[in-house]
Amino acid sequence: MVQPAPRPESAGAKVIPIKETSLYEAQRKIYARSVSGTFANWRWAMVWITQAIFYGLCWLPWNGRQAVLFDLVERKFYIFGLVFWPQDVFYLAVLLIISALALFLFTAVAGRLFCGYACPQTVYTEIFMWVEKLFEGDRAARMKLDAAPLTGNKLARKGAKHAVWIVIGLWTGFTFVGYFTPIKTLAGSVLSWQLGPWETFWICFYGFATWGNAGFMREQVCKYMCPYARFQGVMFDPDTLIVTYDAERGEPRGARAKKADHKAAGKGDCVDCGICVQVCPTGIDIRNGLQYECIGCSACIDACDQVMDKMAYPRGLIRYSTEHALAERWGRGQILAHILRPRTLVYGAILSAIVAAAAAGLALRQPLKVDVIRDRTTLAREVEGGLVENVYRLQIMNLAEAPRRFALAVTGLPGVRIASEQIVEVAPAATQAVAVRVRVEPDAGKRGSNPIHFEVRAINHDEVFVREKASFLLP
Amino acid sequence: MQKLIWILWPSFVMAGIAEAVFFTLVDPQELYLFGEPVHMTPLATYSIGFFAFWALCAASSAFSCFLQRSAGAPRV
Ligand code: SF4
Ligand code: SF4
Repeated sequence: MVQPAPRPESAGAKVIPIKETSLYEAQRKIYARSVSGTFANWRWAMVWITQAIFYGLCWLPWNGRQAVLFDLVERKFYIFGLVFWPQDVFYLAVLLIISALALFLFTAVAGRLFCGYACPQTVYTEIFMWVEKLFEGDRAARMKLDAAPLTGNKLARKGAKHAVWIVIGLWTGFTFVGYFTPIKTLAGSVLSWQLGPWETFWICFYGFATWGNAGFMREQVCKYMCPYARFQGVMFDPDTLIVTYDAERGEPRGARAKKADHKAAGKGDCVDCGICVQVCPTGIDIRNGLQYECIGCSACIDACDQVMDKMAYPRGLIRYSTEHALAERWGRGQILAHILRPRTLVYGAILSAIVAAAAAGLALRQPLKVDVIRDRTTLAREVEGGLVENVYRLQIMNLAEAPRRFALAVTGLPGVRIASEQIVEVAPAATQAVAVRVRVEPDAGKRGSNPIHFEVRAINHDEVFVREKASFLLP
Repeated sequence: MQKLIWILWPSFVMAGIAEAVFFTLVDPQELYLFGEPVHMTPLATYSIGFFAFWALCAASSAFSCFLQRSAGAPRV
Protein backbone atom coordinates (compact mmCIF):
# COMPACT_ATOMS: atom_id res chain seq x y z
CA MET A 1 0.00 0.00 0.00
CA VAL A 2 1.20 3.45 -0.82
CA GLN A 3 2.00 5.54 2.22
CA PRO A 4 0.69 9.07 1.96
CA ALA A 5 3.55 11.50 2.15
CA PRO A 6 3.57 13.41 5.44
CA ARG A 7 2.08 16.81 4.91
CA PRO A 8 3.27 19.96 6.59
CA GLU A 9 0.69 20.89 9.15
CA SER A 10 -0.78 24.31 8.92
CA ALA A 11 -1.66 25.94 12.18
CA GLY A 12 -4.92 24.74 13.59
CA ALA A 13 -5.59 22.25 10.82
CA LYS A 14 -6.61 18.86 12.04
CA VAL A 15 -4.66 15.99 10.64
CA ILE A 16 -7.11 13.68 9.03
CA PRO A 17 -5.62 10.25 8.64
CA ILE A 18 -6.03 9.17 5.05
CA LYS A 19 -7.23 5.64 4.95
CA GLU A 20 -7.02 3.97 1.61
CA THR A 21 -9.04 0.87 1.19
CA SER A 22 -8.21 -1.14 -1.84
CA LEU A 23 -10.92 -2.27 -4.14
CA TYR A 24 -11.67 -5.93 -4.59
CA GLU A 25 -10.28 -6.67 -1.20
CA ALA A 26 -11.26 -10.00 0.26
CA GLN A 27 -15.00 -9.72 0.31
CA ARG A 28 -17.22 -10.68 3.10
CA LYS A 29 -19.90 -12.76 1.41
CA ILE A 30 -23.26 -11.06 1.56
CA TYR A 31 -26.24 -13.17 2.50
CA ALA A 32 -29.11 -10.94 1.60
CA ARG A 33 -32.27 -11.82 3.41
CA SER A 34 -35.32 -12.02 1.21
CA VAL A 35 -37.94 -9.37 1.65
CA SER A 36 -41.54 -8.78 0.69
CA GLY A 37 -43.57 -5.63 0.41
CA THR A 38 -44.68 -2.94 -1.99
CA PHE A 39 -41.29 -2.26 -3.49
CA ALA A 40 -40.40 -5.93 -3.68
CA ASN A 41 -43.58 -6.38 -5.71
CA TRP A 42 -42.52 -3.58 -8.00
CA ARG A 43 -39.11 -5.14 -8.38
CA TRP A 44 -40.63 -8.48 -9.28
CA ALA A 45 -43.02 -6.83 -11.71
CA MET A 46 -40.02 -5.26 -13.42
CA VAL A 47 -38.23 -8.62 -13.50
CA TRP A 48 -41.24 -10.13 -15.26
CA ILE A 49 -41.67 -7.26 -17.68
CA THR A 50 -38.03 -6.91 -18.69
CA GLN A 51 -37.51 -10.64 -19.00
CA ALA A 52 -40.76 -11.24 -20.87
CA ILE A 53 -39.48 -8.68 -23.35
CA PHE A 54 -35.94 -10.04 -23.50
CA TYR A 55 -36.79 -13.74 -23.72
CA GLY A 56 -39.95 -13.26 -25.77
CA LEU A 57 -39.32 -10.51 -28.29
CA CYS A 58 -36.84 -12.52 -30.32
CA TRP A 59 -39.58 -15.07 -31.08
CA LEU A 60 -42.07 -12.53 -32.35
CA PRO A 61 -42.64 -12.70 -36.11
CA TRP A 62 -43.16 -9.62 -38.25
CA ASN A 63 -43.58 -9.42 -42.04
CA GLY A 64 -42.51 -13.06 -42.24
CA ARG A 65 -39.25 -12.46 -40.36
CA GLN A 66 -38.08 -11.94 -36.81
CA ALA A 67 -39.51 -8.67 -35.48
CA VAL A 68 -36.33 -7.55 -33.75
CA LEU A 69 -33.16 -8.88 -35.29
CA PHE A 70 -29.72 -7.36 -35.54
CA ASP A 71 -28.65 -9.48 -38.45
CA LEU A 72 -24.87 -9.31 -38.44
CA VAL A 73 -24.38 -11.56 -41.44
CA GLU A 74 -26.75 -9.59 -43.67
CA ARG A 75 -25.68 -6.35 -42.00
CA LYS A 76 -29.22 -5.20 -41.48
CA PHE A 77 -31.05 -4.30 -38.29
CA TYR A 78 -34.75 -5.04 -38.17
CA ILE A 79 -36.86 -3.36 -35.55
CA PHE A 80 -40.50 -4.12 -36.25
CA GLY A 81 -41.40 -2.26 -39.44
CA LEU A 82 -38.06 -0.50 -39.71
CA VAL A 83 -34.96 -1.77 -41.47
CA PHE A 84 -31.66 -0.11 -40.66
CA TRP A 85 -28.59 -0.40 -42.83
CA PRO A 86 -25.01 0.41 -41.92
CA GLN A 87 -25.63 3.76 -43.63
CA ASP A 88 -28.16 4.54 -40.90
CA VAL A 89 -25.53 4.55 -38.17
CA PHE A 90 -26.63 8.12 -37.50
CA TYR A 91 -29.81 6.81 -35.91
CA LEU A 92 -27.77 4.54 -33.66
CA ALA A 93 -25.80 7.54 -32.47
CA VAL A 94 -29.04 9.43 -31.83
CA LEU A 95 -30.41 6.45 -29.91
CA LEU A 96 -27.33 6.44 -27.69
CA ILE A 97 -27.72 10.16 -27.01
CA ILE A 98 -31.39 9.67 -26.17
CA SER A 99 -30.57 6.83 -23.77
CA ALA A 100 -27.89 8.85 -22.04
CA LEU A 101 -30.16 11.86 -21.64
CA ALA A 102 -33.01 9.70 -20.37
CA LEU A 103 -30.65 8.23 -17.81
CA PHE A 104 -29.60 11.74 -16.71
CA LEU A 105 -33.22 12.78 -16.39
CA PHE A 106 -34.32 9.72 -14.44
CA THR A 107 -31.29 9.94 -12.20
CA ALA A 108 -31.91 13.58 -11.42
CA VAL A 109 -35.54 12.88 -10.58
CA ALA A 110 -35.38 9.60 -8.73
CA GLY A 111 -31.80 8.49 -8.29
CA ARG A 112 -30.77 5.03 -9.30
CA LEU A 113 -34.20 3.85 -10.42
CA PHE A 114 -32.59 2.02 -13.31
CA CYS A 115 -30.16 0.20 -11.03
CA GLY A 116 -32.77 -0.93 -8.56
CA TYR A 117 -35.43 -2.07 -10.98
CA ALA A 118 -34.30 -2.56 -14.55
CA CYS A 119 -30.55 -3.12 -14.75
CA PRO A 120 -29.84 -6.64 -16.01
CA GLN A 121 -27.34 -7.04 -13.21
CA THR A 122 -30.05 -6.45 -10.60
CA VAL A 123 -32.68 -8.42 -12.46
CA TYR A 124 -30.57 -11.54 -12.93
CA THR A 125 -29.26 -11.32 -9.39
CA GLU A 126 -32.88 -11.19 -8.22
CA ILE A 127 -33.72 -14.29 -10.27
CA PHE A 128 -30.59 -16.14 -9.15
CA MET A 129 -31.22 -15.29 -5.50
CA TRP A 130 -34.73 -16.63 -5.82
CA VAL A 131 -33.32 -19.93 -7.10
CA GLU A 132 -30.79 -19.90 -4.31
CA LYS A 133 -33.52 -19.45 -1.73
CA LEU A 134 -35.46 -22.29 -3.31
CA PHE A 135 -32.64 -24.77 -2.76
CA GLU A 136 -30.73 -23.38 0.17
CA GLY A 137 -33.32 -21.47 2.14
CA ASP A 138 -33.18 -17.90 3.37
CA ARG A 139 -30.29 -16.00 4.89
CA ALA A 140 -29.88 -17.91 8.15
CA ALA A 141 -30.23 -21.32 6.51
CA ARG A 142 -27.72 -20.36 3.83
CA MET A 143 -25.18 -19.16 6.35
CA LYS A 144 -25.59 -22.39 8.28
CA LEU A 145 -25.27 -24.46 5.13
CA ASP A 146 -22.10 -22.68 4.07
CA ALA A 147 -20.55 -23.19 7.47
CA ALA A 148 -21.56 -26.84 7.62
CA PRO A 149 -19.18 -29.59 6.50
CA LEU A 150 -19.70 -31.05 3.06
CA THR A 151 -22.39 -33.68 3.19
CA GLY A 152 -24.50 -35.38 0.55
CA ASN A 153 -27.35 -33.06 1.38
CA LYS A 154 -25.19 -29.95 0.99
CA LEU A 155 -23.76 -31.22 -2.25
CA ALA A 156 -27.21 -31.99 -3.62
CA ARG A 157 -28.55 -28.55 -2.69
CA LYS A 158 -25.57 -26.69 -4.12
CA GLY A 159 -25.51 -28.91 -7.18
CA ALA A 160 -29.20 -28.37 -7.90
CA LYS A 161 -28.79 -24.63 -7.48
CA HIS A 162 -25.91 -24.50 -9.92
CA ALA A 163 -27.69 -26.73 -12.39
CA VAL A 164 -30.66 -24.36 -12.47
CA TRP A 165 -28.35 -21.34 -12.63
CA ILE A 166 -26.48 -22.84 -15.57
CA VAL A 167 -29.70 -23.63 -17.41
CA ILE A 168 -30.89 -20.04 -16.93
CA GLY A 169 -27.46 -18.78 -18.01
CA LEU A 170 -27.41 -20.87 -21.16
CA TRP A 171 -30.96 -19.92 -22.06
CA THR A 172 -30.01 -16.28 -21.61
CA GLY A 173 -26.96 -16.77 -23.81
CA PHE A 174 -29.04 -18.52 -26.43
CA THR A 175 -31.57 -15.68 -26.39
CA PHE A 176 -28.83 -13.11 -26.65
CA VAL A 177 -27.28 -14.75 -29.68
CA GLY A 178 -30.80 -15.09 -31.07
CA TYR A 179 -30.95 -11.33 -31.47
CA PHE A 180 -27.98 -11.41 -33.82
CA THR A 181 -28.70 -14.48 -35.90
CA PRO A 182 -32.28 -15.55 -36.66
CA ILE A 183 -33.40 -17.40 -33.55
CA LYS A 184 -35.52 -20.03 -35.26
CA THR A 185 -32.58 -21.18 -37.36
CA LEU A 186 -30.45 -21.05 -34.26
CA ALA A 187 -32.94 -23.18 -32.33
CA GLY A 188 -32.99 -25.64 -35.23
CA SER A 189 -29.22 -25.99 -35.17
CA VAL A 190 -29.20 -26.42 -31.41
CA LEU A 191 -31.80 -29.18 -31.60
CA SER A 192 -29.95 -30.98 -34.37
CA TRP A 193 -26.54 -30.50 -32.71
CA GLN A 194 -25.28 -28.51 -35.66
CA LEU A 195 -24.49 -25.27 -33.97
CA GLY A 196 -21.56 -23.42 -35.52
CA PRO A 197 -18.42 -23.04 -33.40
CA TRP A 198 -18.85 -19.29 -32.90
CA GLU A 199 -22.52 -19.48 -32.02
CA THR A 200 -21.67 -22.15 -29.46
CA PHE A 201 -18.88 -20.03 -28.12
CA TRP A 202 -20.98 -16.89 -27.71
CA ILE A 203 -23.89 -18.74 -26.12
CA CYS A 204 -21.51 -20.25 -23.58
CA PHE A 205 -19.65 -16.98 -23.11
CA TYR A 206 -22.81 -15.03 -22.37
CA GLY A 207 -24.19 -17.87 -20.28
CA PHE A 208 -21.00 -17.98 -18.26
CA ALA A 209 -21.06 -14.21 -17.77
CA THR A 210 -24.66 -14.40 -16.53
CA TRP A 211 -23.82 -17.22 -14.15
CA GLY A 212 -20.76 -15.44 -12.82
CA ASN A 213 -22.29 -11.99 -12.55
CA ALA A 214 -25.65 -12.96 -11.06
CA GLY A 215 -24.40 -15.92 -9.04
CA PHE A 216 -21.10 -14.71 -7.63
CA MET A 217 -20.08 -11.16 -8.48
CA ARG A 218 -23.46 -9.61 -7.67
CA GLU A 219 -23.03 -6.36 -5.75
CA GLN A 220 -19.34 -6.23 -6.66
CA VAL A 221 -20.27 -5.51 -10.25
CA CYS A 222 -22.20 -2.47 -9.02
CA LYS A 223 -19.50 -1.41 -6.62
CA TYR A 224 -16.38 -1.90 -8.65
CA MET A 225 -17.21 -2.35 -12.30
CA CYS A 226 -20.13 -0.10 -13.09
CA PRO A 227 -19.10 3.35 -14.29
CA TYR A 228 -22.59 4.71 -13.73
CA ALA A 229 -22.33 4.01 -10.01
CA ARG A 230 -19.22 6.10 -9.86
CA PHE A 231 -20.44 9.22 -11.57
CA GLN A 232 -23.98 9.16 -10.24
CA GLY A 233 -22.93 11.80 -7.75
CA VAL A 234 -22.76 14.51 -10.39
CA MET A 235 -26.29 13.72 -11.53
CA PHE A 236 -27.78 13.99 -8.07
CA ASP A 237 -28.90 17.21 -6.49
CA PRO A 238 -30.60 17.97 -3.17
CA ASP A 239 -34.03 17.42 -4.77
CA THR A 240 -33.27 13.97 -6.12
CA LEU A 241 -35.44 11.22 -4.69
CA ILE A 242 -33.27 8.72 -2.88
CA VAL A 243 -33.69 6.00 -0.32
CA THR A 244 -33.07 7.70 3.00
CA TYR A 245 -33.15 6.94 6.65
CA ASP A 246 -34.85 9.60 8.72
CA ALA A 247 -32.14 10.00 11.33
CA GLU A 248 -34.00 12.73 13.15
CA ARG A 249 -36.90 10.38 13.78
CA GLY A 250 -34.86 7.22 14.26
CA GLU A 251 -32.06 8.34 16.54
CA PRO A 252 -31.01 7.58 19.17
CA ARG A 253 -31.59 4.02 18.09
CA GLY A 254 -31.83 1.14 20.49
CA ALA A 255 -33.65 -2.02 21.45
CA ARG A 256 -36.76 -1.73 23.54
CA ALA A 257 -39.76 -3.71 24.67
CA LYS A 258 -42.71 -3.39 22.33
CA LYS A 259 -44.95 -1.81 24.93
CA ALA A 260 -42.35 0.57 26.29
CA ASP A 261 -42.81 4.28 25.77
CA HIS A 262 -39.55 4.81 23.94
CA LYS A 263 -40.03 8.54 23.54
CA ALA A 264 -40.15 8.93 27.30
CA ALA A 265 -36.96 6.87 27.51
CA GLY A 266 -35.36 9.30 25.08
CA LYS A 267 -35.14 6.84 22.23
CA GLY A 268 -35.93 7.32 18.57
CA ASP A 269 -38.01 5.04 16.37
CA CYS A 270 -35.19 2.78 15.16
CA VAL A 271 -35.21 -0.43 17.17
CA ASP A 272 -31.74 -1.28 15.89
CA CYS A 273 -32.90 -4.67 14.67
CA GLY A 274 -30.45 -4.57 11.77
CA ILE A 275 -32.94 -6.04 9.34
CA CYS A 276 -32.40 -3.18 6.89
CA VAL A 277 -28.74 -4.20 6.74
CA GLN A 278 -29.56 -7.89 6.36
CA VAL A 279 -31.80 -7.38 3.33
CA CYS A 280 -29.42 -5.03 1.56
CA PRO A 281 -27.98 -6.73 -1.51
CA THR A 282 -24.89 -4.53 -1.36
CA GLY A 283 -24.45 -5.07 2.34
CA ILE A 284 -24.49 -1.46 3.49
CA ASP A 285 -26.21 0.25 6.37
CA ILE A 286 -28.53 2.89 4.97
CA ARG A 287 -28.59 4.52 8.42
CA ASN A 288 -25.10 5.83 7.67
CA GLY A 289 -26.54 8.11 5.01
CA LEU A 290 -26.39 7.97 1.25
CA GLN A 291 -23.53 5.81 0.04
CA TYR A 292 -22.42 5.23 -3.48
CA GLU A 293 -22.93 1.49 -3.07
CA CYS A 294 -26.67 1.94 -2.61
CA ILE A 295 -28.40 0.78 -5.78
CA GLY A 296 -31.73 2.21 -4.69
CA CYS A 297 -33.47 -1.14 -4.64
CA SER A 298 -35.70 -0.13 -1.68
CA ALA A 299 -35.40 -3.55 -0.05
CA CYS A 300 -34.57 -1.76 3.19
CA ILE A 301 -37.76 0.34 2.90
CA ASP A 302 -39.93 -2.77 2.74
CA ALA A 303 -37.99 -4.39 5.56
CA CYS A 304 -38.15 -1.44 7.89
CA ASP A 305 -41.83 -0.84 7.14
CA GLN A 306 -42.55 -4.35 8.36
CA VAL A 307 -40.64 -3.67 11.55
CA MET A 308 -42.52 -0.40 12.03
CA ASP A 309 -45.83 -2.24 11.54
CA LYS A 310 -44.84 -4.76 14.18
CA MET A 311 -43.94 -2.02 16.59
CA ALA A 312 -47.10 -0.10 15.68
CA TYR A 313 -45.02 2.92 14.70
CA PRO A 314 -45.81 4.87 11.53
CA ARG A 315 -44.14 3.53 8.40
CA GLY A 316 -41.46 5.35 6.49
CA LEU A 317 -38.51 5.52 8.88
CA ILE A 318 -36.62 4.52 5.76
CA ARG A 319 -38.34 5.98 2.72
CA TYR A 320 -37.94 7.67 -0.62
CA SER A 321 -37.19 11.26 0.12
CA THR A 322 -34.83 14.04 -0.86
CA GLU A 323 -32.06 15.80 0.95
CA HIS A 324 -34.06 19.03 0.97
CA ALA A 325 -37.22 17.31 2.13
CA LEU A 326 -35.47 15.71 5.09
CA ALA A 327 -33.84 18.95 6.13
CA GLU A 328 -36.97 21.07 5.76
CA ARG A 329 -39.48 18.37 6.76
CA TRP A 330 -41.35 18.59 3.51
CA GLY A 331 -44.38 16.45 2.82
CA ARG A 332 -45.03 14.43 -0.28
CA GLY A 333 -46.61 17.33 -2.17
CA GLN A 334 -43.59 19.55 -1.79
CA ILE A 335 -41.25 16.77 -2.84
CA LEU A 336 -43.31 16.20 -5.96
CA ALA A 337 -43.44 19.92 -6.67
CA HIS A 338 -39.65 20.00 -6.65
CA ILE A 339 -39.42 17.42 -9.39
CA LEU A 340 -39.94 20.30 -11.77
CA ARG A 341 -36.78 22.32 -11.37
CA PRO A 342 -34.35 23.87 -13.84
CA ARG A 343 -32.17 20.80 -14.14
CA THR A 344 -34.97 18.37 -14.94
CA LEU A 345 -36.73 20.88 -17.18
CA VAL A 346 -33.59 21.40 -19.23
CA TYR A 347 -32.92 17.65 -19.50
CA GLY A 348 -36.57 17.09 -20.37
CA ALA A 349 -36.62 19.81 -23.02
CA ILE A 350 -33.45 18.58 -24.73
CA LEU A 351 -34.67 15.01 -24.57
CA SER A 352 -38.07 15.78 -26.10
CA ALA A 353 -36.47 17.88 -28.83
CA ILE A 354 -34.10 15.09 -29.84
CA VAL A 355 -36.80 12.43 -29.69
CA ALA A 356 -39.11 14.56 -31.81
CA ALA A 357 -36.37 15.27 -34.35
CA ALA A 358 -35.39 11.60 -34.57
CA ALA A 359 -39.03 10.52 -34.95
CA ALA A 360 -39.58 13.09 -37.68
CA GLY A 361 -36.40 11.98 -39.41
CA LEU A 362 -37.52 8.37 -39.30
CA ALA A 363 -41.00 9.20 -40.56
CA LEU A 364 -39.65 11.21 -43.46
CA ARG A 365 -36.90 8.73 -44.26
CA GLN A 366 -36.94 7.74 -47.91
CA PRO A 367 -37.17 3.95 -48.22
CA LEU A 368 -34.61 4.24 -50.99
CA LYS A 369 -30.93 5.03 -51.13
CA VAL A 370 -28.75 5.42 -54.19
CA ASP A 371 -24.97 5.47 -54.42
CA VAL A 372 -23.38 6.51 -57.69
CA ILE A 373 -19.91 5.20 -58.45
CA ARG A 374 -18.09 6.18 -61.64
CA ASP A 375 -16.69 3.29 -63.61
CA ARG A 376 -12.99 3.89 -63.15
CA THR A 377 -11.76 1.79 -66.07
CA THR A 378 -13.38 3.84 -68.81
CA LEU A 379 -13.49 7.56 -68.25
CA ALA A 380 -15.26 8.70 -71.37
CA ARG A 381 -15.50 7.07 -74.76
CA GLU A 382 -16.90 7.87 -78.13
CA VAL A 383 -19.69 5.62 -79.38
CA GLU A 384 -21.75 5.35 -82.56
CA GLY A 385 -23.31 8.55 -83.86
CA GLY A 386 -20.44 10.64 -82.45
CA LEU A 387 -21.94 10.56 -78.96
CA VAL A 388 -19.83 10.54 -75.77
CA GLU A 389 -20.54 7.83 -73.22
CA ASN A 390 -19.74 7.60 -69.51
CA VAL A 391 -20.44 4.48 -67.48
CA TYR A 392 -21.63 4.47 -63.85
CA ARG A 393 -22.48 1.90 -61.31
CA LEU A 394 -25.63 2.66 -59.37
CA GLN A 395 -26.17 0.91 -56.07
CA ILE A 396 -29.90 0.99 -55.53
CA MET A 397 -30.94 0.11 -52.00
CA ASN A 398 -34.58 -0.70 -51.53
CA LEU A 399 -35.28 -0.23 -47.84
CA ALA A 400 -38.93 -1.20 -48.18
CA GLU A 401 -39.95 -4.72 -47.32
CA ALA A 402 -41.66 -5.23 -50.68
CA PRO A 403 -40.14 -5.69 -54.13
CA ARG A 404 -40.04 -2.42 -56.03
CA ARG A 405 -39.40 -1.28 -59.55
CA PHE A 406 -37.47 1.91 -60.04
CA ALA A 407 -37.29 4.19 -63.06
CA LEU A 408 -33.91 5.78 -63.73
CA ALA A 409 -33.47 9.13 -65.40
CA VAL A 410 -30.62 11.57 -65.81
CA THR A 411 -30.62 15.38 -66.07
CA GLY A 412 -28.12 18.19 -66.13
CA LEU A 413 -26.86 18.37 -69.73
CA PRO A 414 -28.88 19.16 -72.87
CA GLY A 415 -29.93 15.95 -74.59
CA VAL A 416 -28.44 13.70 -71.96
CA ARG A 417 -30.00 10.24 -71.79
CA ILE A 418 -29.53 6.74 -70.51
CA ALA A 419 -28.58 4.22 -73.18
CA SER A 420 -28.98 1.15 -70.96
CA GLU A 421 -31.87 -0.41 -69.05
CA GLN A 422 -33.98 2.28 -67.38
CA ILE A 423 -36.15 0.12 -65.18
CA VAL A 424 -34.58 -1.74 -62.30
CA GLU A 425 -36.30 -4.27 -60.11
CA VAL A 426 -35.03 -4.61 -56.56
CA ALA A 427 -36.00 -7.33 -54.10
CA PRO A 428 -37.39 -6.42 -50.65
CA ALA A 429 -34.79 -4.84 -48.35
CA ALA A 430 -32.05 -5.57 -50.84
CA THR A 431 -29.40 -3.83 -52.87
CA GLN A 432 -29.14 -4.03 -56.63
CA ALA A 433 -26.13 -2.80 -58.54
CA VAL A 434 -26.72 -1.70 -62.12
CA ALA A 435 -24.32 -0.47 -64.77
CA VAL A 436 -25.72 2.64 -66.37
CA ARG A 437 -24.44 4.02 -69.67
CA VAL A 438 -25.09 7.73 -70.13
CA ARG A 439 -24.71 9.41 -73.52
CA VAL A 440 -24.62 12.98 -74.68
CA GLU A 441 -23.64 15.03 -77.76
CA PRO A 442 -19.93 15.95 -77.55
CA ASP A 443 -20.74 19.69 -77.61
CA ALA A 444 -23.42 19.52 -74.92
CA GLY A 445 -21.11 20.83 -72.20
CA LYS A 446 -17.66 22.14 -71.47
CA ARG A 447 -14.58 19.94 -71.66
CA GLY A 448 -13.81 18.08 -68.49
CA SER A 449 -16.26 17.41 -65.68
CA ASN A 450 -19.92 18.43 -65.96
CA PRO A 451 -22.37 18.01 -63.11
CA ILE A 452 -25.33 15.74 -63.80
CA HIS A 453 -28.01 14.21 -61.60
CA PHE A 454 -29.43 10.73 -61.49
CA GLU A 455 -33.06 10.57 -60.56
CA VAL A 456 -34.45 7.33 -59.24
CA ARG A 457 -38.18 7.05 -58.66
CA ALA A 458 -40.21 4.08 -57.48
CA ILE A 459 -42.82 3.09 -60.04
CA ASN A 460 -46.33 3.40 -58.51
CA HIS A 461 -44.82 5.17 -55.50
CA ASP A 462 -44.05 8.62 -56.81
CA GLU A 463 -43.13 9.96 -53.40
CA VAL A 464 -40.20 7.56 -53.18
CA PHE A 465 -37.65 9.56 -55.06
CA VAL A 466 -33.94 10.19 -54.77
CA ARG A 467 -31.68 12.57 -56.68
CA GLU A 468 -27.97 11.87 -56.63
CA LYS A 469 -25.22 14.04 -57.97
CA ALA A 470 -22.55 12.72 -60.36
CA SER A 471 -20.14 14.14 -62.89
CA PHE A 472 -19.95 13.52 -66.59
CA LEU A 473 -16.58 13.74 -68.33
CA LEU A 474 -16.34 15.24 -71.81
CA PRO A 475 -13.07 14.83 -73.72
CA MET B 1 -7.47 -10.59 -9.27
CA GLN B 2 -8.07 -6.90 -8.79
CA LYS B 3 -5.45 -5.93 -11.37
CA LEU B 4 -6.88 -8.51 -13.75
CA ILE B 5 -10.32 -6.95 -13.54
CA TRP B 6 -8.83 -3.48 -13.99
CA ILE B 7 -7.16 -4.68 -17.15
CA LEU B 8 -9.82 -6.92 -18.64
CA TRP B 9 -13.02 -5.09 -17.82
CA PRO B 10 -12.43 -1.58 -19.25
CA SER B 11 -10.79 -3.13 -22.29
CA PHE B 12 -13.85 -5.34 -22.77
CA VAL B 13 -16.09 -2.27 -22.84
CA MET B 14 -13.77 -0.39 -25.18
CA ALA B 15 -13.45 -3.43 -27.44
CA GLY B 16 -17.22 -3.55 -27.69
CA ILE B 17 -17.35 0.08 -28.78
CA ALA B 18 -14.44 -0.32 -31.19
CA GLU B 19 -16.06 -3.41 -32.67
CA ALA B 20 -19.36 -1.62 -33.21
CA VAL B 21 -17.77 1.40 -34.83
CA PHE B 22 -15.33 -0.57 -36.97
CA PHE B 23 -17.82 -3.05 -38.36
CA THR B 24 -20.45 -0.39 -38.96
CA LEU B 25 -18.02 1.20 -41.35
CA VAL B 26 -16.40 -1.95 -42.73
CA ASP B 27 -18.16 -4.93 -44.21
CA PRO B 28 -16.35 -8.08 -43.01
CA GLN B 29 -16.72 -9.53 -46.47
CA GLU B 30 -14.80 -6.69 -48.02
CA LEU B 31 -11.87 -7.00 -45.65
CA TYR B 32 -8.39 -7.73 -46.89
CA LEU B 33 -5.77 -9.38 -44.73
CA PHE B 34 -2.20 -9.32 -46.03
CA GLY B 35 -3.55 -8.47 -49.47
CA GLU B 36 -5.86 -11.49 -49.48
CA PRO B 37 -9.61 -11.21 -49.12
CA VAL B 38 -10.77 -12.67 -45.81
CA HIS B 39 -12.44 -16.01 -46.41
CA MET B 40 -14.05 -16.56 -43.04
CA THR B 41 -17.73 -16.55 -42.21
CA PRO B 42 -18.87 -13.10 -41.11
CA LEU B 43 -19.52 -14.39 -37.60
CA ALA B 44 -15.95 -15.64 -37.33
CA THR B 45 -14.62 -12.31 -38.59
CA TYR B 46 -16.73 -10.39 -36.09
CA SER B 47 -15.66 -12.64 -33.24
CA ILE B 48 -11.97 -12.63 -34.07
CA GLY B 49 -12.15 -8.90 -34.61
CA PHE B 50 -13.67 -8.50 -31.18
CA PHE B 51 -10.94 -10.50 -29.51
CA ALA B 52 -8.27 -8.61 -31.40
CA PHE B 53 -9.73 -5.32 -30.15
CA TRP B 54 -10.02 -6.73 -26.66
CA ALA B 55 -6.41 -7.89 -26.65
CA LEU B 56 -5.24 -4.52 -27.92
CA CYS B 57 -7.24 -2.56 -25.35
CA ALA B 58 -6.16 -4.96 -22.60
CA ALA B 59 -2.54 -4.33 -23.56
CA SER B 60 -3.16 -0.62 -23.19
CA SER B 61 -4.80 -1.10 -19.79
CA ALA B 62 -1.96 -3.32 -18.67
CA PHE B 63 0.52 -0.69 -19.76
CA SER B 64 -1.33 1.95 -17.72
CA CYS B 65 -1.34 -0.34 -14.69
CA PHE B 66 2.35 -0.96 -15.10
CA LEU B 67 3.21 2.72 -15.38
CA GLN B 68 1.13 3.54 -12.36
CA ARG B 69 2.87 0.92 -10.31
CA SER B 70 6.41 1.84 -11.25
CA ALA B 71 5.76 5.52 -10.62
CA GLY B 72 3.87 5.14 -7.37
CA ALA B 73 5.79 2.33 -5.70
CA PRO B 74 8.14 3.42 -2.94
CA ARG B 75 11.73 2.97 -3.96
CA VAL B 76 13.93 1.25 -1.49
S1 SF4 C 1 -34.99 -1.96 9.85
FE1 SF4 C 1 -35.66 0.03 10.60
S2 SF4 C 1 -35.81 -0.29 12.81
FE2 SF4 C 1 -34.57 -1.99 12.06
S3 SF4 C 1 -32.48 -1.24 12.25
FE3 SF4 C 1 -33.14 -0.71 10.20
S4 SF4 C 1 -33.92 1.40 10.40
FE4 SF4 C 1 -33.79 0.54 12.47
S1 SF4 D 1 -29.37 0.62 1.25
FE1 SF4 D 1 -31.48 -0.04 0.87
S2 SF4 D 1 -31.97 0.76 -1.16
FE2 SF4 D 1 -29.76 0.88 -0.92
S3 SF4 D 1 -29.02 -1.01 -1.85
FE3 SF4 D 1 -29.25 -1.41 0.35
S4 SF4 D 1 -31.33 -2.23 0.55
FE4 SF4 D 1 -31.19 -1.32 -1.47
